[in-house]
Amino acid sequence: MKLENEDALDDYIICRRCHTLHKEIAIKERAKACCTRCGNVLYRYDSQLTEHGLALSISGLILFILANSFPLVKIEILGHEQFITIPKTIWSLFTNDFYFVGFICAFLIFIFPMMIFLINSLLFALLRSKKGENITKEMLVILSHIMPWSMSDIFLVSILVALVKLVGYAQINMGVSFWALIGFVLLDLYMTRTLHTYEIWMLRKRVFTQEDRDDRS
Amino acid sequence: MIEVDEENLIRCHVCEAVNIDRGPNKKCRRCGSILYRGQKYTTHKSWAYLITAMIAYIPANLYPMLVTQQFGAATSSTILGGVVTLWEHGSYPIALVIFFASIVIPILKFLILIYLLVSVKYPLGRDKRVNKYKLYYLTEIIGPWSMIDVFVVAILAALIHLANIHIIAGTAATAFSLSVFFTLLAAHAFDERLIEGER
Repeated sequence: MKLENEDALDDYIICRRCHTLHKEIAIKERAKACCTRCGNVLYRYDSQLTEHGLALSISGLILFILANSFPLVKIEILGHEQFITIPKTIWSLFTNDFYFVGFICAFLIFIFPMMIFLINSLLFALLRSKKGENITKEMLVILSHIMPWSMSDIFLVSILVALVKLVGYAQINMGVSFWALIGFVLLDLYMTRTLHTYEIWMLRKRVFTQEDRDDRS
Repeated sequence: MIEVDEENLIRCHVCEAVNIDRGPNKKCRRCGSILYRGQKYTTHKSWAYLITAMIAYIPANLYPMLVTQQFGAATSSTILGGVVTLWEHGSYPIALVIFFASIVIPILKFLILIYLLVSVKYPLGRDKRVNKYKLYYLTEIIGPWSMIDVFVVAILAALIHLANIHIIAGTAATAFSLSVFFTLLAAHAFDERLIEGER
């Protein structure tokens, strides 16, 4: 295999599931390229990726704030009304002396999901205004380190499991935050499925090489 | 012009850029992360995390996960005990979810990781390389789901706080989350590029 220089390697992609080498080809708008061996999606092409990414991450942030500021679930047992919010769940672990579990839960269901959406919003905003070549690099590196540790979706399923356990004993009312959390998790899943790190790196390259060319001309 | 062998191209595990394999301690050309550390100790870190996780999994199953204090009397249940109680009460789907999340997935993950770590060093039979990549991918997908039980206990403990009835998390919650935490670390520390075998 012959290459012009090392940067020409950007035209190649290794499948993240089965590690087969592929050469990147131009595809139609909104189309996706799949691995020939395992069928995993390699990349998609979206000429308005910056706008879509920015819109998605800002709506995610709004939903995240909503999901954290109102009660998730209200229950009524023996005339007593109880409710939980996400911060309250984490806090009650700390007050019961479960520091390690509280610590882990705080990161997995609060800090990491929030960081992902904050970083994504900033990142797309910077890419849109074509600024911060180095900081976007650092942000992408942090993102790919924390992405596997965000567990909002698992927390949502856990709420459902906990509620089913309580069904016989208590009257259950869903709060505003519950619907916001569902929206947030759906957005989160959609973003992790469609916006791969690979595409954002390619977008970053397109944005900043274009700028170089503009400067020279 | 440079000439590269296709077998010498590796993927950066952080930014997914294709890099030329130039030996240990080289940085990725795009994001600057170290591609892999010294060839000699690649599996040791993963083994260490995995063994810690397996040790933590023992108290996670022996100590109570959930303690219910009802009118002064405390009843506690372990993970398996909780599954059995749920099954006896007829909530089969929930019993199955908890059973899969807290027992099947962790053990399956331990076994897959042990198999991968051993087979990287001592090739067993004629196992296909692609199948091993699939196994590794599977552990990455299903791994985090074992946190369900810890979250459920946290939610119940926060929710049920009445004058006479309290639910508090048990010692197993800490042990179990430690175990999940270290299995996740072990899976991340495993370098999938070490996988070799027939294509």
